[in-house]
Amino acid sequence: MPPDSTDLLQGTLEMLVLKALSLEPMHGWGIGNRIGQLSRDAFEIQQGSLYPALQRMLRKGWISSEWRITENNRRARYYLLTRAGRRQLDTETAAWERASTAVNGILRARLAEGG
Amino acid sequence: MGVLSDLRERLRALVFRGRVERDMAEEMRFHLAREIEERVRHGATPAAARREAQLAFGGVEQWKEVTRDARGTRMLEDLVRDLRQTWRGLRRSPGFAATVILTLGLGIGANAAMFGVIDRLMFRPFPLLRDPGTVHRVYLQTTYQGRNSANTVFPYTRYLDLQGATTRFAEYAAVSEWRFGVGGGGEDIRVRKVAGVSASFFGFFDAAPALGRYFGPAEDVVPMGALVAVISHAYWQGDFGSADVVGRVLKVGQLSYTIVGVAPVGFVGTVSGGTPDVFVPITTIPANLGPWSAGDYFTAYNWDLTEMLVRRAPGVSVAEASADLARAYVRSRAAARALNPRVLADSLVRPRALAGPVKTAAGPQASPEARVLLWVAGVAGIVLIIACASVANLMLARVIRRRRELTVQLALGVSRGRLVAQCVTESLVLALCGCFAGLLVAQGSGVAIRSLLLPEGSAFNLADDWRTIGVALGLAVACTLLTAIGPAVVATRTDLATMLKAGARDGGRRRSAFQVGLLVLQVALSVVLLAGAGLFVSSFRHARALPLGYDPRPVLEVISDYRSPTMSEEDRATARRRLLAEASALPGVEFAAAINSGLFRTNTAELRVPGIDSVAGLGRFNFQMATSEYFKVMRIEVLRGRGLEADDRAGAPRVTVVSQAMAEALWPGRDPIGECIHVGLGQAPELGLAECTTVVGVAANTVQQAFADDPMYMYYLPMEQLAPELTSTMLLRMSGSKASAEMERVRLELTARMPGDGFVVVRPLQQIVDDKSRSWRLGATLFAVFGGLAFVVAAVGLYGLVSYDVEGRSRELGVRAALGARPGAVVRLVVGQGVRLALSGVVIGVAIALAASRWVEPLLFQQSAWDPRVHGAVAGGMLLVALGASLVPALRSMRLDPSIVLREE
Repeated sequence: MPPDSTDLLQGTLEMLVLKALSLEPMHGWGIGNRIGQLSRDAFEIQQGSLYPALQRMLRKGWISSEWRITENNRRARYYLLTRAGRRQLDTETAAWERASTAVNGILRARLAEGG
Repeated sequence: MGVLSDLRERLRALVFRGRVERDMAEEMRFHLAREIEERVRHGATPAAARREAQLAFGGVEQWKEVTRDARGTRMLEDLVRDLRQTWRGLRRSPGFAATVILTLGLGIGANAAMFGVIDRLMFRPFPLLRDPGTVHRVYLQTTYQGRNSANTVFPYTRYLDLQGATTRFAEYAAVSEWRFGVGGGGEDIRVRKVAGVSASFFGFFDAAPALGRYFGPAEDVVPMGALVAVISHAYWQGDFGSADVVGRVLKVGQLSYTIVGVAPVGFVGTVSGGTPDVFVPITTIPANLGPWSAGDYFTAYNWDLTEMLVRRAPGVSVAEASADLARAYVRSRAAARALNPRVLADSLVRPRALAGPVKTAAGPQASPEARVLLWVAGVAGIVLIIACASVANLMLARVIRRRRELTVQLALGVSRGRLVAQCVTESLVLALCGCFAGLLVAQGSGVAIRSLLLPEGSAFNLADDWRTIGVALGLAVACTLLTAIGPAVVATRTDLATMLKAGARDGGRRRSAFQVGLLVLQVALSVVLLAGAGLFVSSFRHARALPLGYDPRPVLEVISDYRSPTMSEEDRATARRRLLAEASALPGVEFAAAINSGLFRTNTAELRVPGIDSVAGLGRFNFQMATSEYFKVMRIEVLRGRGLEADDRAGAPRVTVVSQAMAEALWPGRDPIGECIHVGLGQAPELGLAECTTVVGVAANTVQQAFADDPMYMYYLPMEQLAPELTSTMLLRMSGSKASAEMERVRLELTARMPGDGFVVVRPLQQIVDDKSRSWRLGATLFAVFGGLAFVVAAVGLYGLVSYDVEGRSRELGVRAALGARPGAVVRLVVGQGVRLALSGVVIGVAIALAASRWVEPLLFQQSAWDPRVHGAVAGGMLLVALGASLVPALRSMRLDPSIVLREE
């Protein structure tokens, strides 16, 4: 399978979805809401873009879905993190941390030299 | 894991497509509802909350599309959806669907049938032939006095010469086709196809014998091969009940052969006209025919006995192979010249050779039938183009009508690519249905065409004919592309804003130049085809109406075969005389005569006429030698003097009867009776030339040569005088008007009177005449059928376009009516436009037909390709159809109520 994070935005969105779902199973609106909360609305995405992302992640086997009844007694499609999804989250988190550490290091070095 | 989940999701998307779609819609609906709820909870008014929620989500339909893409089953899903949509669309307009399927079906069917026949006749390799690409038939070509000829049958000596003097070939074989009486002991003698082949012939095939063995080189030697035979599988199964026949004796022709083997199923050799039942060594053929030819057939060059097959050695090109053969041919001609100084010099005849197609129909000297067939195949192609143009026009009109629907789809975010895909799917479905219909048409018509063209007994079954099915499918795909272009262009060119604003009122109702072009093309091509059809039908009528100068219907041709090589000439002559007498005495036989050659087999002899320098310069003079009752048998009118009489026998003064045309050519303005001609013929040609043969009568002109425009110079000589031993051919005039009914009785009665294993072959003279006019009959039939087809297709197209047009202009016409235009004026307007369109097509079509006349002319018979009657009738007919096709919708438009039309929408 080709690398999953070629598209930075797409990859990031998927990582955020994984992160949101790592806490509990949620429906689409809930995931969007949670990402908004977690990022303090730093990511301006159209909410509709969640659904293609969820569809891709279903195919990758990172998440599964089932219809449940919400607390308000309505039918909604809930997404659950699979074991593969959890592994993917760990990998991506680690990779992200490595990358951001590296990038931060570079940026600081630049600043130190230039400053 | 990833692979499995991927597969699962994709399958789900495909199999439970409806549910997946519903889930997605519900999920998004839930999302929006929840979002609105949330915003209301934060204090927004419901209306503002809804607006904001929609903004935050983005276009629902767009996100649905992107999500569908993410399912990874896009292509298939789209296809399924397009197919469904096509199915629904076509069910809504069954008339349209039926018209298109029928039109394409006829077009594809005509082409599939023609391909099936042409493929069988020309291209499909003979079954079981090993590596057919390297196998060739040898054609020996000459050009004498500007006339090209290509011989495939030449002396056996030449075959040996070519084999000995060429180096570029791996294999050589000689093949010679005959029809012999096969079997013995009375009733079960049948005339069968017998192939005399060299022992090397079987090596060309990957075909082990079903039983026994083939014969070998030691059994195929000059002067006389071994009397061994291989029989065909069908003959073995049919007549021998698959018994162990090896070692049995079978009388073939005049000789008795021992069966040594049975060819496998499907083995037909390389004979184009029906499968031979028996294969014998070619070196036994001469002895089988009689002692006259058996002695020198392999050293002399006077008997065209054999055809020749060669296989190129590896790495040798066709050009090299042909050059090699040509060199050998020149040497062989030199050898022939050494024996006979009258062999023309190479500089006069330019001898060449060709390693050409095994099937003669594909070779340089194809039969007129094969040439007509190629023409007709071209015609079938044009019919298909017309059909495609017509269908494209119908589809275009349809898509233009649905333009508003398309616009809405575009506005909803459906991509233009998807719209094109929809158009193509619709075309494809229709074309495939058409393809299926076409194969049914082809199966039906192919059987009919086959009976006219292909050797008897050859199968025409398309069910397992993958070449033809493949061609039909290929045509269907081509039709799809051709017919989908127009609608696809319209679909993609649709301009959103203007379309939505304009509404259905004039939603692209204007006729596009493309549509007009298609229609004009259709009409023009139909006119070309109809003109061709007219010319061929008229040719055929001429050929049929041609006064033959005799009445073949009540006449039977009888050929006797004594099958006894040891019979002396005297005995044979006696037997023939007895048979002629017995035949005359048969009940139902009015007259009987012996002749020296059948109809349409030319005979010429050296002819000198006092006072004329070169008789040959005046044309070709043919003679028929016959016994005294000949003119009565044929019912040829004797115009002056007398016919042949029983007293014109050996020892009596030499006499002849000449045809009227010959008399006028030789003695213009004079009485030919009593004139003298000198004929180098009979047992002593020199004597004949020295002696005067007196003209004693003038007979009506007859068509006894090729049907071509022939001056009909014929003269008749008494057979009893020049060849009292008679010949094996007799003509019997029956008392009924149709001889074919009596054929079997005559055959049985005469065969019973033949000594030993002798037998007779009987066939109606009419059949020989019919065979001669076959190429015209074929051309006339097929051209008429295809011309009619094109006519119908063009008429349907014209009607469809005009009526769509009128329907689209109903508002405009309504306005005109409301403004006081009289109904007549409206009709004139509509019809005028239709007819103008057709007229331009007709003009172009007639121009093309006239330009093509040069190539058609040689195929016609007493018919000018410029015949104004034919072209006029076709043009008039087409215009009438255009008139009718536009009149119907025009009249319908007249009944429109302007107030309703204007209130619409």
